[in-house]
Order: sequence, then structure tokens, then C-alpha cells
Amino acid sequence: MSLNDREKSQLRSALQEAVVKCSERCLYQSSKWAAELLNAIPEPEVPLDDSRLSEVSSGYASTVAAPNMDPAEAILESNEISKYLLAKSLFDCREYDRCAAVFLPETTLTGVISPKETNTTPKGKGKGKGKATTGNSRPRNGQAILKISQRSLFLSLYAKFLSGEKRKDEDAEMVMGPQDLGTCRNKQLTTINRVLDIWFESRRTGDGEYMDGQGWLEYLYGMILAKEKNEDQALYWLVRSVHMFPMNWGCWLEMTSLITRVDDLNRVMTRLPQNIVSFMFHIHTSLELYQHDANLANSLDQLLNIFPSSSFLMTCNALLSYHAKDLVAAEQNFSHLLSLHPYRLDSLDHYSNILYVMNARPKLAFLAHLCSNVDKFRPESCVVIGNYYSLLSLHEKAVQYFRRALTLDRACLSAWTLMGHEYVELKNTHAAIESYRRAVDVNRRDYRAWYGLGQTYEVLEMHANQDGIKALKRALLADNYYEAGSSFESAADSMRGDPEILLQIAGMYDTLGEVEDAKAYMEMCVAQEVGPAGGSQDEPVAIHRDSPGGGSDDAGEGSRGAGTEGTGVTAATSKARMWLARFAMRTEDYATAGRLANELCQDGVEVEEAKALIREVRSRTESAGGDGAARGRAS
Amino acid sequence: MSRFLNPAKIGLLALIELYTNKIVPTSSIVDVLSFITSYLIDNDIINSASSPTDQWQRAESMIDLVVSISDFEKVLTPHTAASGIPGRNLWYVFVDKLWRIDSLDALHGFFDNCSALLEKTKEELRRDAEMGIPPPAPDAIQLSRNSPFGAFVRRSQLEFTRLRFHDAIELWKDFVKYRKATAAYYGKKTPAFHELSFDNVLLTGESEWGQSVEAIASVAYDDVFRDDLNATAPVSTDDIEKILEFQIDQMQKYGNRVPLDIRHRFHNLITDSYMVPSLSHYLSYLEAWRAGDYATSFDYLHRYFDYTMQNRDRSFYQYALMNLAVLQADFGCHKEAIAAMLETVSTARENRDMTCLNFALNWLFHFGRAHSEVTQELESKSQMGTGKESLAFLRSRAKETGTWSLWSSALMSEAKMCLSHGESVATALEHLVRSSQILVERNMTSMIGSQLSINIALWDRLGVAYLSTTTCEVFLQCHARHAIFDDELKVASRQASMLTLKGKYDEALERLGTLDSDSLRAWKPNQYWHKFRGIIELRRDLHHNNLDGAELLLSQLLQSKSEDLEPDLAFSIDTLHVECLIRRGNLEEAFIKVEKMVVELREENKDVALRVRLLLLKAELLDKCGRPQKAFTIVVRATNIAWRARLIPYLWPAIGALANILSSLGEFEPAIQLLNAVLPRSLECENSTMTAKLYSHLGDANVGMAGKMPPKSNKRREYLMKGVEAIEKAFNHYSSVEDIEKQCEMMAKKATIMKAAGDYVLANDYAAAYLALRRDAAQLKI
Repeated sequence: MSLNDREKSQLRSALQEAVVKCSERCLYQSSKWAAELLNAIPEPEVPLDDSRLSEVSSGYASTVAAPNMDPAEAILESNEISKYLLAKSLFDCREYDRCAAVFLPETTLTGVISPKETNTTPKGKGKGKGKATTGNSRPRNGQAILKISQRSLFLSLYAKFLSGEKRKDEDAEMVMGPQDLGTCRNKQLTTINRVLDIWFESRRTGDGEYMDGQGWLEYLYGMILAKEKNEDQALYWLVRSVHMFPMNWGCWLEMTSLITRVDDLNRVMTRLPQNIVSFMFHIHTSLELYQHDANLANSLDQLLNIFPSSSFLMTCNALLSYHAKDLVAAEQNFSHLLSLHPYRLDSLDHYSNILYVMNARPKLAFLAHLCSNVDKFRPESCVVIGNYYSLLSLHEKAVQYFRRALTLDRACLSAWTLMGHEYVELKNTHAAIESYRRAVDVNRRDYRAWYGLGQTYEVLEMHANQDGIKALKRALLADNYYEAGSSFESAADSMRGDPEILLQIAGMYDTLGEVEDAKAYMEMCVAQEVGPAGGSQDEPVAIHRDSPGGGSDDAGEGSRGAGTEGTGVTAATSKARMWLARFAMRTEDYATAGRLANELCQDGVEVEEAKALIREVRSRTESAGGDGAARGRAS
Repeated sequence: MSRFLNPAKIGLLALIELYTNKIVPTSSIVDVLSFITSYLIDNDIINSASSPTDQWQRAESMIDLVVSISDFEKVLTPHTAASGIPGRNLWYVFVDKLWRIDSLDALHGFFDNCSALLEKTKEELRRDAEMGIPPPAPDAIQLSRNSPFGAFVRRSQLEFTRLRFHDAIELWKDFVKYRKATAAYYGKKTPAFHELSFDNVLLTGESEWGQSVEAIASVAYDDVFRDDLNATAPVSTDDIEKILEFQIDQMQKYGNRVPLDIRHRFHNLITDSYMVPSLSHYLSYLEAWRAGDYATSFDYLHRYFDYTMQNRDRSFYQYALMNLAVLQADFGCHKEAIAAMLETVSTARENRDMTCLNFALNWLFHFGRAHSEVTQELESKSQMGTGKESLAFLRSRAKETGTWSLWSSALMSEAKMCLSHGESVATALEHLVRSSQILVERNMTSMIGSQLSINIALWDRLGVAYLSTTTCEVFLQCHARHAIFDDELKVASRQASMLTLKGKYDEALERLGTLDSDSLRAWKPNQYWHKFRGIIELRRDLHHNNLDGAELLLSQLLQSKSEDLEPDLAFSIDTLHVECLIRRGNLEEAFIKVEKMVVELREENKDVALRVRLLLLKAELLDKCGRPQKAFTIVVRATNIAWRARLIPYLWPAIGALANILSSLGEFEPAIQLLNAVLPRSLECENSTMTAKLYSHLGDANVGMAGKMPPKSNKRREYLMKGVEAIEKAFNHYSSVEDIEKQCEMMAKKATIMKAAGDYVLANDYAAAYLALRRDAAQLKI
């Protein structure tokens, strides 16, 4: 997929427009993303002077405010320009409530919301004043909202939303403190929801279809619905939004967070517009779902052709290698990215994870130094520093930095998980469980958190083993399910799981005394090594909790494109094999025991023990054979 | 800025590590170790025996070490290394060690490894034995945990773990900067050296990052590469506090000011550190106080105590008040000072702060003695009682609470009071000896100054000038460096005044000139010093009969009399004023002045010696008026007092005055007897003017005797010759103090006697000598 010059310039102007529009609406992150992408397109080789002049005259004159294509909206916008500018300045100063009040003063809001309450059930935020107003005030107030341009309405509601988020964080107080139970809610959600509801209702045409808007309010509506866990509706509105304005990356991100399975993704993809951004969305979401295959790599390469220096795509590339457990390549990718954008802190926490697994202390220290120097109060920097301290086995300090990261951003998933790991190291099991639980609450797809949770349950031993098994299964699911494409139980035989997790589940079953289950999982574990790529493997790199399958170093396998490759012999599978051999001994299945022990000898793992087993098997079979012979003779 | 660690301390750690690794050869161990220890151990023990300039040297070298690595170079370059490549000196090994800390991670590792330097605890040894790790070789150097080095290593390690990550980075960056000075040297000796060697990650990353490595480096090390002029020095709070404490200590102990260049450098350090301890305000306060800048010192005192009113659960309010009182008193605001000190007493009583209370009472007592006019109404109202009682109270309190300095100072005060009231010298001596015993027992070097100055005064009053000079000399030779500068100044001026009495003006001025100019930058000593010089000059001018110059000086000295805080100086200025008036012939005014002084003295109930001196002055005035008999009661009283109080230096002139009165009554015989008895003793006092006067009285009496003898008899001749002899001696003594007027008088007398004796040739000679003297005097005046 390569673009000619015309397409490129089209893309460029689309991105420019997106940057301006996003920043008009104070969607800073989306505008940053678009701007980054915009600058990643290589400039045309020899731009003619006159053409540039004509370009300037045609469309680039104003970058402060983009003209609105809809004439009605354009008139509204031009009428309220001064008020809008005030609202935007207030937003920039982070005075959210005041910003919202510029267009939506409290009186208007109560007018909008309360009639509905009198008509329907008076639940939610009951306002005494609102009950007094009669039903006929409704159209007037609805009118009041309609008189505002969509841009201003978005800005006001978005400000309201953010002020609610801010309150929520403030109410939660300290990270993992008594108030921080994850129960604090954004109290503005209902209001915003109601307002948007009315707004969309009023724009519904006769045949029940919604009139096309600008895409922004739809995005906000989707976001609000997602926050209220109304996920199907949310997805509907988000998809509508991207149809109208595809360059709003925030909207795509919202969709990503709603998609928890690969087949969900595939289903959604059919409803999406076919453009370059949705292409990126596909890649990004697949990566979020821990996918890594040749197709992905291929499409990423195509995109990189268009945006050769895009930091976003390079991050995706590095993550792809990371998911494929190709740590060296991932490290190189990130390192390259760092050299191109030394001030960019986004996603450097992933880089630090990679360096951690590679045990590259000096480099991790340098990265932490760099991050801290750029901005020590960014969640990413704190995670990097925490990782470094963890590598130095200074776990208290690591916890401190992860907490700081969480104070800065409570939705920082990796910090929750990593903090859980640190608490495990500190033997503070309860705090660990809480951290993992919060991580899982933030993002259900994170298999590491599930894994940690399961392990910690195992530590608690006494009563939590069943829960532990469940959690570990969830970890397996998160890790693997999407690839298998069907539910876990049905795919149990063919699935490719992480042998480490499987071994752990089996062990837990064993301690519970459920031997059959244990055996099944052990077998599954051993089965993982079967694959065309099996056989001789590299030495395992450092085992790290970030990659529970750290023992299975199959660097480069992803590039070989094998679909069903195995993990080869690992410590975990050997252990499983040993257990199986012993189990066979116990159940007097000597043939199996002998076979397994031989395999162990071949693999060169725990040879001594395996040989002892073989000897025992032999003596048993001989004695059994002797018995049989004796019996035969006797008969 | 970290609390404790800075690059210099990393350097010291590295050096300690080199030492424990036995890389320091045996011959240089002492040098290296003493270099390290000088920075680890407080100055008190090491440097107490050196001169003040050396003491400041220490502060300077501390700043030097913090700012640059070159101090290490100076110490290490001359030594060779015990192992490694031959021909490389210790400095190279040290630099190499520092450059091996080649990344932030390596720095972490460096501090981690520090624990290997320490001796293992029993616990660790046991655990090692369990693990199968062999115990360290017996000949390995291991630091015991509580040794100065061990404590330093442990503290450094602890402080490093306490650092937040950000601070660790700052330390690392500072270290890179600190080390950079050695890059040229190290690069020359090491072939593999590269521009990026300071961070190994960058060095290895260069292959990967290519050109952009510089961009990354500049992000990570923002200003390390720029040779920034206003680059900050890597100073830690610990250093700042150490230096601050050192300076305050110096100022309080020796009462001098911080040398200028050290102050500038220190100021730079303070501005570099973004956390300034509030102690620095105290330092500024002391500085301003010493500089005599009342407003600024007042401001800083308030600022300091506003910041530290409540520190470590202790209230410092009483100390604030105390400082305030001392400050006020120093700048002459006596009423305010008293009010503040009384407040101190009540606050200290409230807070049960005994040391503060005792100090405040002691101070109040002394202040009351010095400025009775302010405390008078106070004493009548309060229960303070008279001086004696409060002293006894203070003494017993000091004994109870074990505050030795207070005890000895109370004893000294009692001795002083005994002397000034003219009571038993033996009692005074007893007090002195007791105080001296305490001083010696407790080794309170700082108090020896006041002890010895009382001693000096005692010998002076007993007329044993030789002993008092010796004591002065002893103090200056042995104790001056522990004592506050004020003491040194007082003793030196005492010496100078003794020299002046002997007429050695130039020597006296020179003596004052040898005082440390830096210490003289403090305002009060400076004032004192200038006044004292003025007095010496004034005396010389008077003796040279240079009355115009004398009056000029006097007008300057008298101007500041009202704020003159040293009573003894004020008194001598007054007497010199009277003398000047006498020489001008303005006897009436002189008499009025003396009367006024007498009245003042009586009101204030001051030292008996001053009273005697005033009485003598009065007698002299009457003598000048030609009414010596009128002074008889005065002189007898003076003699009586002086005799009872054993005020020997005033006893002899009193007796001389008595003899003079006797002569004027025609009782020459007893006058001669008196004078003959007194003269040898008065020579001991080494006061030339006094001796000369006695001799001239003797000459007068002898001539008077000659008049009683029959004319042309041998007896008359003999007496005349004796008279000439006495007058000759008087002349000699007068000429030793360069008193022109008196010299002329003596010469005239001699000429007259010769004429009376009929030896006209000699009379002529003497007359010619008289004229020559006059001419010389006239020339001297010009």
C-alpha cells in the first residue's frame, strides 16, 4: 500500500484539519496523535514555489479555527465566537466548571434535565427546583441546547465530564487508601447523558434515524455510555462517530477499550469505514489483544512505508516483537524510537519492561535517568523508575514509584500489575491481590494481572486454590483465547497455552487432590512443546513475571510464520513430564513412565532423576514380568 | 541537592576503597589517611593548636574539595601505586577508579559494594559459614563498623538508599561534572578513552543511535556539556551546614569576622544550593553584628528566630530574647536590652531552661555593674539585692547545676569586686585561685583570657609591673589562640599602654599594629583599637607639647564619648583632657572638669582606683595654682585609700604630693625622708612620669634643705648637688617619655641651681641646653 503524491497531500490536509479540530475541542491527546502522524509523512521532494503559494492561498490560511462545512453550524459558530473563545481559554486553564457554565449554566441544565424527570421516574439527581417547572418548558429548553453550536456543546459537556473525573480522583484520595475502592463514580455522567439524550432525540428525523452530526457529540456520547457500562450502545455511537470524523484517534481508543476478544474485533471491523485510520485501529487493537502474526507485521510494514518516522507505528512494531517474545528486536525498535524522539515518554514503560526482562541494568538506569530528566511526574517515568528499582531488588522504593504513577494516573494499568508483583516480593499478599484486582478491573485483557492474581492465591494456599485456578484460567484465556478463536473448554486439546501457567494449574489441582484434572493439565503442558519448530532450543532468557513463558524463548519464530509452532522443551514442560512419569509409576503404568523418563533423558533435563526412574521402571517391570512368569508357571 | 552525598564524598569513598584494597603503598598511607580524615572528623580536635588563619584555611579547603577535584590531585600525584601498571601514580589509579563508575547503574553498584569494605558482623559471618562462603583473609583491611571510616561508609550507603531517584540522578550528573576535569588527563593515559566515556550506555549506544546520540545525551545530561559559567557547585546540605556551623563557631569563639574571600566563596555555595538552612540567617546576623550594622543584624536575628522558634519540640524563644538583649546592649540601647533580658529571665524560668537562666542572670549582673544608671531603678524595685548577694547566689547555682563557666566567672567577678571596692587583696587572690582551679580542671581554654586579664590588673594595682607584663606575654604566647579576640586586643592594648608609660610610643603603636587585621574587621574591636591608638598619639602629642594636634585628637575622641562603651577608655580620655587643659594653662576649666568627674564617680560607686586618681589630679591642680597646702586633706585621703587598698601605683604619687606639701611648708627633712623611702619602690612600677615627678620633688626638697644650711657651707653645696642629681634623674625620666615641657623645666631648674651654686659656666651650658630644647620642641611641633 503506497500512496501517490496527491493522496499524500490529501492525507496531509486531512490530518491538519484533524489537528485543528481536535485542539478546538481541547482533545489534546488526539490532536497530538494526529500531529505526530502528520509530521511522519515525508515531505514531497521538490515542492514548487508557486504550488506552495497556491496551497497557502487555498486552505492553509487559518490554523486557529477550521471552517465548518455545515452552513447552519457555521452561522452558529460565528455568532458565538467570543463566548467560545472564553470557554476554550477557561478550559485551557483547567477551570472546567467555569468553562461548562459559559454555554450551559446550571439553570439551563436543570431546565433540560428535570422535565424529563417529571415525565419519567424521578430518580437520579433529584432537583427540587426542576420539579416545579412544567412540561411545556421542555421544548424551550431543548431549543436552548439546539441554539448552541455542536462544537460549543461538545466543549461544555466535555469540560463537565472532565470536572467530574477530577472530582472522582479527588474523592478517591490516596492510592489504595480507605476511600480508594474503585467505587467512586463520576457524578456528572448522568447529567451529560441526559443532555446528550435530549439532543439526539431532538435531531431524530421522522423515520427514526438520527441526523448526521459532526461526529464529536457522538464520540462523547459513546464515551459516556461506555463509562456507564452500556457497551453495545457505546460501540454503536462510537462507530457512528468514526464514520463522520475518522481522524479522531481518541474515539478509536475508546473502541479498543470496549473490544475484549478477537472475534469482537473482527465483527466490529465489518462495520467500520475502510480507511487508513481504521487500518491502524485494527493493528493497534490486535496488539492490545496480544496478537502477533505475520499478517499484522505485514500490514504494519505497509503503514510504515507511508509514515516512515511515525513514533506511534514504531511503538506498535516494537510491541509486536515483544508479544512475539522477540525481546532483542523489540529492544532495538524501542532504542531506535528513543533516538528519533528523545523527549517522547509515551509507551517507554513497555520499553522498561523489555529491558527488565533482558536484565539490562545500565540501560534501564539510563532510560530512567532520561525519563526523570524529561519529566519526573509522568506515570511513564514513574513506572520506568519503579522497574529499575525492582531490578535492584529495592522493592519498597519500587512500590513507592508505582504508587506515584498511580496517583498521577489511576488508569495506569501496568503500574497496578507491577505494584502487585512488588507486593508479592514484599510478601504483602493482600495488597498484592488488591493491586492485581484493580489492574484486572481497569483492563480485563491483561493476562499478567490474572496470572499474578492466580499465583498470589496459590501463596494464600489454604482456601483460595479454587479461586487461584480460576484466575489462572482467566490468565490463559486472556493470553490465548483470541487466537484459538473459540471457547477455552472446547479448544482445550488444540490450544496453545503457556506451559508455565498450565503447569501451575496442574500443580494446584494436584495439591487439591484432584488428580485427574492435574493429569489433564500436565499433559496439556507437555503437549505445548510439540510443533514443527520443536527440538533444540536456545537457552531460556531470564524468567520474568512479565513473560511467564520466559522459559520459552522462541526468538525468530514469529518471522518464520509458523502458525502452530510449539514452545519446545522448557523447564515447565520437563517438570510436567517428570510429574507425569511419577504419576505413571504410581498408577503402575510402567510403559508410559519408561517412555517419559527416556524423553527426559533425551532432553537432557534432570537426567539423573530420569535415569533413576528408568532403573526403577525396569526393575518393576522385571519383577512384574517375573511375577507373571512365575504365575504362568504355576498355572 | 542531596542531604549528605556529593561527588567529593564519592571521591573519598573511592579513596577509602583503594586503601582497603591495598593499592596505597605503605609509605603514603599516612598522607592519604590524614587527608581523608581531615574531611571526616570535625575540626576541633585537629586544628585547635593552629593560628586563626589556619583555621580559616580549613573552611577554605572544605569548599575547595566540594567544588573541584584538584584537591585530590594535589594529594595523590606524589604517591606511587602499590599495584597495577608500574609508573602510574596513585592519582591515575584514583581517576581510573572514578572513571570505572561509568553509568548510573554502576553508581548504584558502587554504593552497593561499599558494604564489602566493612567488617562483617557475627551474624553475617555465621550466615556466610552456613552458605559456605569462606571468611575474609586475615590480612585483608576491613573497616570496623564504628570507626570513623566505617561510620562514613555506612552513612554514605544509608544516605544513598534514602535518595529519591531524582536526587540520585542529580548526584550522578554532579559526579559526571565533577569528574570531567580529569578527562584530559585520563584520556591521555587511556587509549580506549572516548568523548562519551562518561556514560557507558551512551558509548555502547552510539553504534545503534549514530548521530542522534548527542541529542539523547543532551536530553539526559542537559547542561553537563555546556561550560556554563553559572554552573552550580555540587554541594550537599550536610556540607553547607558543616561550613555554617564552622563559621558560627569561629565567630562566637574568637569574635572575629569571616575573611572576605571565604565569605564570597561561601556565598556562591549558598546560592547554588536550593535549600538554605536557616542557620545561614544566624551567620548573617553575626556578620552584621560584628560589622556594626545594627539595622541589618536586627533584621537577621528576627528572621532566624522566626524560622526556628519551635525546633525539635524545643522552644527557642528565650534564646531569641537573649540574643536580642545582647545585641541591643552592644549597640547602646541599654533600656531595651534590660527589658529584653528580663523577659529572657522570665521565659527561661517558665521553660525551666537552667543554662539560659543562669546565663541571663550572670549577664544582668555584669551589665548592672557596667551601667548602673540603667539598672538602678530596677534594683530598688526587684529582689535582685546587692551585687554581692546576687553573686553568691549565682555561684551556688552554678555549683549545683555544674555550669563550670558560670561558676568561674562568678568567682572572677567577686575577685574583681573585691579589688574595685578596695577590699582585701588576699580574698581577691583566693577567688582568683579558685576560679583558676576550675578552669584548669575543666580545661576551659576560652575563659583563660578573662582570668589572666584580672591577673594583669591585680599585678598592676600591686605595682609589680614586671609580673603584669609577663602575664600579658604569657597570655599572648600561650592562650591567645583559644581566646576570643576581644581578650587578645585588650591585653595587647594593655601592653601598649605600658610601653607608652615608659615612653616607647613607636613600639606601642607597632604592638597594636601587629594585631590580626582580619579580626579587626569587627566593628567593636575596631573602634576600640582606633581609640586606643588615638589615646597613645594624644599622650605623645601632649608630651611633645603639640597642643594643637592634641586638641584635634581630643575633639575626635571626646565626640564619641557618650557612646563609648569602655569605661576605662573614657576615663583615660577624660584625664588626658584635663592634662591638656592644664598644659594650656586653663586651670579653671580643668578644675571644673575634675569636679564633674568626681561627682559622677560618687554617683556610680565605681572603682576606688579611679577615685584616688581623681583626688591626685585635684591635688596636682591645686599645686599648679600655687596652693599646695589646700590639697593637704585631699592628699592624705588619697594616700589613706591607696594604702588600704594596696593601690601601689597611686600610693607613691600620693606620697610624692604629700612630700611636695611638706616642702611647701618648709618641712624639707621629712619630705626627703618620705621621698627616699618611696623612690626605689616606685621604680618597680615602671611609670617614668611618676618617677620623674618624685625625683623632681626630691630635687626641690634638697634645694630647700640647701637653703636652710648656712651659705657657702659644705652642707649647702652637698644638698645643692643632691638636688641637681635628683633633677638630673627627673630630667632623664622626663626625656624618656619625651615630655618637652618638663624637660625644659628641669633644665631651667638645673641652670638656676648652678647659678645659685656659683658655677656660671655650667649654668650657661644648661641655659644653652634649655634653649636648644625649646628649639627642638618647636621643630617637633612643626
